[in-house]
Amino acid sequence: MTVVEGSRIVTAPGWTGKARTDLALIDCDVHQGYKKVDDLFPYLPRVYRERVIDQGLLIPSSGYFNNPKRAARTDLVGCDANMADRDGRNRGTDYEGLKGAHLDVWNVDRVLLTGSGANGASVIPDPDYGAAFCRAFNDYTMEHWAAKDERFMVAISVNVRDPQRAVEEIHRLGDHPQVKAIMLPTGAIMPYGNRFYHPIWEACEQHGLVVGIHPGAEGSGMAGPPTGVGYPTYYIETRMARPQMAMAHAVSFIAEGVFEKFPKLKVLFDECDQFWAVGLMWHMDADWKSLREQTPWVKRLPSEYFVDHIKVGSQPMLEPENEEQFFMMLDAMHADRTLVYCSDWPHWDWDDPATTFPKLPERLHKRVFADNARELFAL
Amino acid sequence: MAERVVVAPVEEIPPGRRKIVVPFRGRAGIGVFNINGTFHALRNLCPHKSGPLCTGAVLGRLVADAPPSGRPLVVDDYRVDQDGEIIRCPWHLWEFEVATGRCLVDPTVRVKTYPVNVEDGQVVVYADPADLPEQPVALGGSPPDQPGS
Repeated sequence: MTVVEGSRIVTAPGWTGKARTDLALIDCDVHQGYKKVDDLFPYLPRVYRERVIDQGLLIPSSGYFNNPKRAARTDLVGCDANMADRDGRNRGTDYEGLKGAHLDVWNVDRVLLTGSGANGASVIPDPDYGAAFCRAFNDYTMEHWAAKDERFMVAISVNVRDPQRAVEEIHRLGDHPQVKAIMLPTGAIMPYGNRFYHPIWEACEQHGLVVGIHPGAEGSGMAGPPTGVGYPTYYIETRMARPQMAMAHAVSFIAEGVFEKFPKLKVLFDECDQFWAVGLMWHMDADWKSLREQTPWVKRLPSEYFVDHIKVGSQPMLEPENEEQFFMMLDAMHADRTLVYCSDWPHWDWDDPATTFPKLPERLHKRVFADNARELFAL
Repeated sequence: MAERVVVAPVEEIPPGRRKIVVPFRGRAGIGVFNINGTFHALRNLCPHKSGPLCTGAVLGRLVADAPPSGRPLVVDDYRVDQDGEIIRCPWHLWEFEVATGRCLVDPTVRVKTYPVNVEDGQVVVYADPADLPEQPVALGGSPPDQPGS
């Protein structure tokens, strides 16, 4: 790889990336952040400011694992590929960098800002600090990101562990025209279909907000371990655990009748892989035919609820052995209705919009890169 | 020559009971059911995985209008539709409407049904509806006070 000082685009052997101008492009996973903790102080109550100064954030990050290069691409403006910037600053967290190296390069029409760092607020024992942290991060995001670019849609962070506080935050910001979703970690104290969370889903439905779920906080704080068999040792194992968590939440939403109760509710799973959806739909449908009696409020095939209510982010896009398998799996997961493009800016494992997929038929391309998201966010 | 089988005297299959007849159009045979006084015959072969469908439990269809989290807790919350009219295959519990053979969990699936006639006090199953006698003596129907019902 060649990294040119001050350059905005990486060039590498085999790189064929070109800006797309022919089709709309909606990116459903872009991480905005703050540069340093002090950036949040104007939005935190004094009691928490002083606590943070004294003791640090006390918010567990995205699990316990060793995400390389502090998760970020090292080619980005302001980043040092040799990890020289060890001053505690986060990378890829400024608007100008995102605009110059992503939005303008790829002609991105809309971006869902999915946050960073606030996931852990949902798994700490102090519900009020968790809620205050989410609120501060949201206010920072609205002022320093959303206000700067009309292309931004915001997935606000809420403390899902305390439905009362989460609902308050949804009512506070839910009608802002750029607020389109809430963002929750895959790590949780119990699966998201549980009735404990229903007041939050009710509020989301009321404001037309999508329920976004993204890896984070698994194995941290009060959340359960990242897998059903406990704590894996290495980072790569925790990545493979993401589909497990997405499946657990998706099944829970369907089996608990959440989509019968809140028929307009939509759920988005970002960064949890994709093709788990195929096996899950097939297995759930087969089992529902035998076990329907145990959840008689699930009135349709589980796959019908899935396709109607759940979207799956395309990053990290799985890489089948050949294109035939790729298209077979896309077909099996009903990608024309379930798959939305995600870049995961600015992380090292990001997917660009040009080289991630084999050449898709035009209709499918439009569904994945724009129309599914357009429908999801009612754009 | 009409393909028909005399299954049993009417009183041998009172309401709520069944009789399996093997073989009939294949080794799987048929199940003859008395549902509320009307006789029905089904192929004893589940269209799902070829299980012995007619040996399954005959029950109702449990339904719920809404998830339990949206309602007060009551013990008789679930409604049972078509009680005693639904058979569940013993192999994978798929539900079928005995009277029609309609599968309740997969509308693309149906189990074959056969016409049943009562002739001279005998339950008779025909392979082909066209072979039914022109004026059935007493199609279906069974005295309501049969012993064992």
